[in-house]
Amino acid sequence: MMAKATLKERQDKRFINKETQTAAKYLRRLEELSGAPDDIEPFYNALKRIYVDMKSVETENKTIGTYCVMTPPELIYAAGAVPVKLCSGNYTAFSIGDDIAPRDACPLVKAIAGFKQTGLMPVYEDCSMMVIPITCDCKKKIAGMLADKFNTVTLHIPAKRDDIDIEMFTDQLYDLMEKLEDVTGNAVTYESLSEGFRKVGYAQYELSEFIRLKKQMPYLIRGSHAMAILNAASYMPADVWGKALHKVNKSLEKNIAEKKTVTSKKLPRILLTGSPIVFPNIKIPLLIEEMGGIVAGDETCMGERGMWDPAVITDNSFDGMMRALANRSLRPCPCPTFADNSQRIYRLKQLIKENRIQGVIYHVLRGCLVYDFEYKRIEEELGKLDIPVIRLESDYNEEDIEQLRIRIEAFIELIKLKQAPERITTVRKSF
Amino acid sequence: MRSKKKIIITSVICLGMAALAYFAWLFPFYEFTSNDFGTGIEKLMSAEYLYTLTPLFIIIALATTGIILVIFIRKFLAKTDKNRSRAAQVRMGRLKGDSPKQKKSLFMIIRWAAMIIFTFMMIWGGLIFGLKMSSLSIPVLSCPWNTEQMTESSCYYLSHLNELFELPIQNIILFFGSTIAFTLLLGRAICGFLCPMGLIQDITDKIRQKTKIEGIKMNDKMYETLTPIKWCMALIFTGLCFAGGNFCNFCPAVAVSPILAGMSTSLYVSGFLMILVLMGGFFKRRAFCTICPLGTVMGFFHKISLFRVKKDCQSCTECGACYEACPMGIKMIYTEREKTDVTHANCIMCGECVKCCPEDNALSLTFAGKKIYTSSRKKIMSGYEEVRNYYDGKSNS
Ligand code: SF4
Ligand code: SF4
Ligand code: SF4
Ligand code: SF4
Ligand code: SF4
Repeated sequence: MMAKATLKERQDKRFINKETQTAAKYLRRLEELSGAPDDIEPFYNALKRIYVDMKSVETENKTIGTYCVMTPPELIYAAGAVPVKLCSGNYTAFSIGDDIAPRDACPLVKAIAGFKQTGLMPVYEDCSMMVIPITCDCKKKIAGMLADKFNTVTLHIPAKRDDIDIEMFTDQLYDLMEKLEDVTGNAVTYESLSEGFRKVGYAQYELSEFIRLKKQMPYLIRGSHAMAILNAASYMPADVWGKALHKVNKSLEKNIAEKKTVTSKKLPRILLTGSPIVFPNIKIPLLIEEMGGIVAGDETCMGERGMWDPAVITDNSFDGMMRALANRSLRPCPCPTFADNSQRIYRLKQLIKENRIQGVIYHVLRGCLVYDFEYKRIEEELGKLDIPVIRLESDYNEEDIEQLRIRIEAFIELIKLKQAPERITTVRKSF
Repeated sequence: MRSKKKIIITSVICLGMAALAYFAWLFPFYEFTSNDFGTGIEKLMSAEYLYTLTPLFIIIALATTGIILVIFIRKFLAKTDKNRSRAAQVRMGRLKGDSPKQKKSLFMIIRWAAMIIFTFMMIWGGLIFGLKMSSLSIPVLSCPWNTEQMTESSCYYLSHLNELFELPIQNIILFFGSTIAFTLLLGRAICGFLCPMGLIQDITDKIRQKTKIEGIKMNDKMYETLTPIKWCMALIFTGLCFAGGNFCNFCPAVAVSPILAGMSTSLYVSGFLMILVLMGGFFKRRAFCTICPLGTVMGFFHKISLFRVKKDCQSCTECGACYEACPMGIKMIYTEREKTDVTHANCIMCGECVKCCPEDNALSLTFAGKKIYTSSRKKIMSGYEEVRNYYDGKSNS
């Protein structure tokens, strides 16, 4: 008995060591990447708090774990709790989950399984409830697995987005609302729901501003840093995140006035899309930018896409607000879980135009079928626009880094060959 | 099987409506001993005016009672429904607090001002300023039984085409000329900007929004069922006169303008319908407009009128907010991914879709090619600016 306990202790210790080391390493790499805006520290700190210091989200309220972008955070705030996004990018947890989940399951879900198994991550363990939208088979099965340890709620995601689907989803949100009330002990009222809308709306207000600034040319911010900021939104209450982003926006505005940009060089502008990219699995954006490209566009659900669409209240009743949430959760979402997802192609085209994208990297997590399915069509459509696309498959470990590096490097070279010779446009003042 | 049932039900409704319209004079809502169409400023000031207003008061009282009754029944049903009872209490209860709202746009202010001013002019304009434009006809549902209104309204002769052709030729030309000119120039923007019936329904909706009472959320299926009814209405509107009927006994609009202008007008089915219009307009914005025959007629010209809704499909994220906001339930505005012109025959140019669209430039209203109202992210998020200011103030102190 005794020996067994120490074995588990040893294992746990090893897990914590490895986990914190990887997270710290990727944070360091982010910090070493040039051109970070001032006031980005709060976001690094949030990531550090969760993955290096092994603490939960900084809040006095209960936390509710969520997955995907379809769980409306407004509702969780309305119940007096704080949502945390639990989609995971953790390599160490993945290696444990690898033995639990089937071989062909995606690494994101394996990592979740790993965290559940070890029971060591406060951000998971402290959750009073978990809300899991069923967006693919992996999510469905992990929901079942999580249920024997956590209080879980699943949300059925329809395959279409007709009026009837929105109505049914609204009903599910009412159910969710009641369960949230049970867990937190706070009633959701019109007032508190409005407050929830304000919290998230404010964060989106700052996000809109941030994305507007991010689109500026020459660049004010790198994609990897932007991704770190957006990833950190998962682990910070929306108002805190919004306030911190407000500071970043201000400093970016200042940089415009002082003509301080990321670099004076013309970097190949790359759009990153596909399976979710979750800290610390940010090797791909980091590699792109370390190899001399810039992630100018980001269409991934833990990135720009996740929080972009606001819930628009078109009817002032309580039901009107719930309906606004249901509508926002499903209709604008370019998630491949929907049978007809052609809107993703339009979104990509829009991003390509707005950010003057020169190449698209399509990221596929091994085993993530839904995203992999859409690759062919997108490759075809973008081919018509004469935009080169590559598909990068990766897993949650560092073994594929060399291979990824080679492919990304070749891709960047290809874009450079296509574009006019590099020319210094403005004098570089700083960074 | 189901579609067969649907067809039967729809035909029964349509036939019933036609019969009701034909025999409308048999169902008096309120009859004056004699209809007195004489009016004047002095009459508006006298106690007699209150007497003329009686049917209107009855209508408002009954409509209010109806609305309250519906709310109570709904509350009761929700309470007894075990599955829903807890959420229902929040939904149906008295709601405190304010939801975030975007700042008022100039467009909406102008639209409301136009509706109010025009309605005022159509009711009392002639009495105050004289009948200078009364030879022109504009297609609005402002009842020309009120002989003192500023301009003539086309609806009378459109619903009495047989009488129209008995008029002297210059009157016919003037009638068609002005009606068509207004329709081409403004199209159904008349509905969004001028029509008094539209204003009334917008007001009832405003009251609901202010009291935060839950409405009836329409979906595409419900709109679909309304379409045949809409066509049936249009048919009754234009055809009843040839069958010897009089649409005016069926038209709800007669309960507004003449009575408010101080003319004692007996009401038949119109009065009952007006109650339904008010109740419908309360729970569903512009409910009557979805079946209004005059609107349908104007809709024929939607391809050439100068007001247009334009869409930049590249910027659209298919978020559906425009469709949710549209009082006429025009779905194509959100699903369209190719055409830039998304003006629909049912579109009343109310601008709600533009107001609720969160993507820059995705939707715009244009007049003769010029953008007059464009969607913008900044405007949508303007309600949250105060949160920023609030935090800003807090972080400074
Ligand atoms: S969508 Fe892809 S990455 Fe996300 S859970 Fe499903 S398979 Fe995994
Ligand atoms: S009753 Fe109706 S149709 Fe008849 S004139 Fe008046 S508004 Fe026009
Ligand atoms: S559709 Fe509505 S606004 Fe237009 S004419 Fe008819 S009642 Fe008036
Ligand atoms: S499409 Fe737009 S302008 Fe036209 S009726 Fe609908 S909301 Fe109003
Ligand atoms: S509101 Fe705007 S972005 Fe949303 S579906 Fe309509 S047009 Fe597209």
